[in-house]
Amino acid sequence: MVCDMLRLPILALVVAAPVFATGAEPVARVTTDSPDYCRELAQRLAPMPGARTEPARSLAEDGLRLCENGNPRSGVARLRRAIRAARLEH
Amino acid sequence: MPEGVVTPPPAFPRGEAVGRWEGMLRFMRSAGFRFALLFAVIFIGASALFALVLWYATAGSLDRQTDAAVRTDALGLIERWREGGPGAVSEAIADRLASDVEGTAIYLLLDANDARLAGNLDRWPPGLPPEATWTFGTVQREGAQIEARLYAIELGERYSLVVGRDVAEKQKLRTLLAEGIAWAAVAAAAFALLGAAVLRRAVEMRLRPAALTAQAIAAGDLSRRVPISQRADEFDRLGGSMNDMLERIDRLMAGVRGVSDSIAHDLRTPIARARAKLEEALGEQTDAETLRAAMEQGIADLDHITRVFGALLRIAEAEAGARRAAFAPLDLVPVLADVAEFYGAVAETGGQSIAVDLPVRLDVVGDRDLLAQAVGNLIDNALKFTPSGGSVRISARAPARERIDIVVEDTGPGLSATDRARAGERFFRADASRGTPGSGLGLSLVRAVAHLHGGDLFLEDASPGAPVRGLRATIRLGVA
Repeated sequence: MVCDMLRLPILALVVAAPVFATGAEPVARVTTDSPDYCRELAQRLAPMPGARTEPARSLAEDGLRLCENGNPRSGVARLRRAIRAARLEH
Repeated sequence: MPEGVVTPPPAFPRGEAVGRWEGMLRFMRSAGFRFALLFAVIFIGASALFALVLWYATAGSLDRQTDAAVRTDALGLIERWREGGPGAVSEAIADRLASDVEGTAIYLLLDANDARLAGNLDRWPPGLPPEATWTFGTVQREGAQIEARLYAIELGERYSLVVGRDVAEKQKLRTLLAEGIAWAAVAAAAFALLGAAVLRRAVEMRLRPAALTAQAIAAGDLSRRVPISQRADEFDRLGGSMNDMLERIDRLMAGVRGVSDSIAHDLRTPIARARAKLEEALGEQTDAETLRAAMEQGIADLDHITRVFGALLRIAEAEAGARRAAFAPLDLVPVLADVAEFYGAVAETGGQSIAVDLPVRLDVVGDRDLLAQAVGNLIDNALKFTPSGGSVRISARAPARERIDIVVEDTGPGLSATDRARAGERFFRADASRGTPGSGLGLSLVRAVAHLHGGDLFLEDASPGAPVRGLRATIRLGVA
């Protein structure tokens, strides 16, 4: 538990380290917060049997619109809910 | 230092800084400060324990939940690897990412050539070993670097897998909690210091009356007593004990003063009388017979003075316990019989009788001479105040284990309750006994001997309610 409490300053160092470490290996990037992944999710949803039923359909439309409007993270979240709803519907 | 003398201030006042340090050291050595410090330490310790429990139950629980979810996820993917190889794992990762509504899941599958096969990381996190390793790392998300909990596994055939969770939101919660605990710690420290100050002040205020009383007594005012509150707490009990002690000291000092006065008074009379007689015999034209009689009277007066001093010394020895080294096991019956026989002749001369009622044996550990003298004093007193034709009864018994009562009863006028209460004091003589010879030290010695043997002297009416009450004097011997 004491280690847990000490983790805060250690994390601060970890977060700040790349700033000082010029020329270090770049940090891994999360690729699922992007319009490309929105399209990938839409393609995955489309053939699912419950994709045309509510609320999956509305969620998917909202998600695609958010992605097109420059909010890919929110859009991805809606599309994921749509996929989950379609699976439950199925 | 003589009583009442106040220490004068130093001729050259010490520096202010030195005085301040001394004051600080005195403050830190005070009981109030130590109690307050103890309170503060306990309070802060309890607060720290509470904070640790709170941290373990909240932030620690979040971490454990995250680790459990990552571990379960990883085990599921390992199972898929065994069932279907890289393809199955890739499909499972894509499927899990597609249904990750919270948006916190992190996966990356690399082949033997470190080529990315599946997942949502664009590269292997720098510094993360491929073998089974838990770590907190940093990943980039929407341009910002966030904290992630990562678990790296080597699946086989040099395929590597990373399973993780974005813990940025949990980190925010953890930061909020840490801030709350930090503020609570500041508040707890403030309360601890405040409580310590209040406690120190309370202790000081409760001790103040006793301290002021002690100072006044040290300055010579022996009449002062510690004021007692209605709380009946430890401080009141301490004050009560101090007051009892002061009362006893007061009584003892009054006794010492009384003894001094009595010595001065009782010895001045025979000395003055002897001096007057000798002066008279020296100054007048007297014959040898008269001169001899005057000298004998003077010697008798001086013998009386010597006896008084001897008695005083013996009482002092008994009270100080100096004679306890001479204690030995003895049978009390022959001692009492000898004393009774010795005074039997005196009783016959005065037309009195002595009755003795003794058991076969009475074992006791004590000083034979002192016990004999104490009983002799009682019999002497009884014979002195019993009229002709009266009787004195001497008895002894052991009513309980390690307790022996020696009783001397007479048929004299007895003592009033007031006189009985003072009968053991040195030089005390009841009004009725002013005309009889004596120094007022006999019962003092008896009482001192009884105390030396772990007992006491008790005086009461021999025949309560009768016209002639008589006196019953009981020496009760206890465990010496």
